[in-house]
Amino acid sequence: MVVLSAINWSSLLTRGNVAVIIRIVLLLGIGIPLLAFASVMAGKAAKKRVSPQASMLIRKAIFYFGTIIIIISILAQLNFQLTALLGAAGIAGIAIGFASQTSVSNIISGLFLISEKPFAVGDIIQIGSTKGTILSVDLLSVKLRTFDNHLVRLPNETLIKSEVRNITRFPIRRLDIDVGVAYKEDVKKVREVLLDIADKNPRCLDEPEPAVRFQGFGDSALQFLFAIWCVREDFLMLKTKIMREIKDRFDAEGIEIPFPHRTLYTGAVTEPFPVRVVPEKKRPSSQKK
Amino acid sequence: MEVWKPTTIGVDKCLQSQIGPLQIRLRRSGDEIHIATERLADPDSLTEISAPVPVSEIEGEEMDWRRWVVGSDVSTVQLTPRMPARPVVVRPELPVSIPTGQEALFFVSIPICVGISASKSGKLQLCEVPTLVLSNTWFGDPMSGELCYALRSRARRQIADSEPRPNRAVCPVKIRNTAPAQLSVERFCVHVEHLRIYSGSRQLWTNEVNITFKGESEVSQVTYGQSPPSFEPVGQLLSEARTPLKKALLKRSLGGLSLFGGA
Repeated sequence: MVVLSAINWSSLLTRGNVAVIIRIVLLLGIGIPLLAFASVMAGKAAKKRVSPQASMLIRKAIFYFGTIIIIISILAQLNFQLTALLGAAGIAGIAIGFASQTSVSNIISGLFLISEKPFAVGDIIQIGSTKGTILSVDLLSVKLRTFDNHLVRLPNETLIKSEVRNITRFPIRRLDIDVGVAYKEDVKKVREVLLDIADKNPRCLDEPEPAVRFQGFGDSALQFLFAIWCVREDFLMLKTKIMREIKDRFDAEGIEIPFPHRTLYTGAVTEPFPVRVVPEKKRPSSQKK
Repeated sequence: MEVWKPTTIGVDKCLQSQIGPLQIRLRRSGDEIHIATERLADPDSLTEISAPVPVSEIEGEEMDWRRWVVGSDVSTVQLTPRMPARPVVVRPELPVSIPTGQEALFFVSIPICVGISASKSGKLQLCEVPTLVLSNTWFGDPMSGELCYALRSRARRQIADSEPRPNRAVCPVKIRNTAPAQLSVERFCVHVEHLRIYSGSRQLWTNEVNITFKGESEVSQVTYGQSPPSFEPVGQLLSEARTPLKKALLKRSLGGLSLFGGA
């Protein structure tokens, strides 16, 4: 309050200063909303011709460029020496550049990602153990929404360096199911039953044809690979249904799905395990369940 | 055919209709129309067809009913045959080759969907039910093909070879080979969304499809006839195409073909 009262307001509010203040207010009051409107309209127009992330970039570029112009105009109104300011900005730029190597790397990686287009907004991608739907591809990072509804921010530099798997790029997907059956089962029958399951499920594509491959002799089962195709939207639904259908059908056909068995062997030199038969005792009625 | 004509439904009354294996029940209750459908496994049902007739409501109580609020002034319902919503892929009954400059005619039997509508001042489309659940298939390469339905019935060279079914419409497909090599037809894709349905004297018909094959690396030219087919006396137009088309289409319509050396 002491500082404010010490200012000579009448000397500040000269006609020239008032004109400057009005111009600054007009620049901010009209310039910023106009800029926001122009950037949104340009983004909308671009969306019809280019990808969503490219249109978002155009929108942001217009907004930031316009904001810089408004700031320079305001500084010019305040009689700042722009040449000195730009010189200082150059020196500051070098210092900031050293300090922000990672950010610059992310920006350049982001530009590569946008030009290369390995994925787009809405695609489902997997990087390492992270899997999710792309919400946005920004200059610094890519944002994913995982299936348990977490937001994951992945720096662009990481994406450039890592193996990225785009799960939804192509319209159809193959579902691989490992199926094990008991050694006593007829391989031909198992194959026929699996192909019939695929044939009866309308979500399973007829073409490319379903395939059953005999993979080998496992520890406790004959191993098969059951490969079926579906459209990407049906993947999870088909996976759930086909597993249940395999179990039901194998049960109906009497095909055994084995589980690992463990035989305890005491060795040739040892005696067999002693077994003691205990007569059943009558329990009190209160303990009966 | 009586089944495709509008039928009056009284308040708290129930109607039943059958089109091949598909049994449809319609019930009017207050300002609602209730619909239940069931696909019968009985092979005898495949040839049965009946217009909506009054039935006891108690019989269908265990069915899965869906409800539409249509207004209390709605008293008419109508069933309409519709083509499936996706293209269908069909294989010929026997492998067929078409030499250069020749054409072959195939008859494709396509299971229809049944559109159910209620009449007020205009038609209120309620739902569409396929008479058979068709299996999905992919036509084209895994990166840029299209999702289709696979037909289990085969394309036949003679119409007399196929038994008329009330839940199927026959589509005549003419394939002309203008490529410099022999064309072996293993399967082809029919874009049924551009087909109309006509009532024939024995069965339902669609307009004709003409596919001109120009070569393996070229897209085929596909045109759709604008008039009813002339293979049997055809009555009225029962259903317009989902996507009416008058111009020729350039599409890849022949798949799994093999070419033999030729002039």
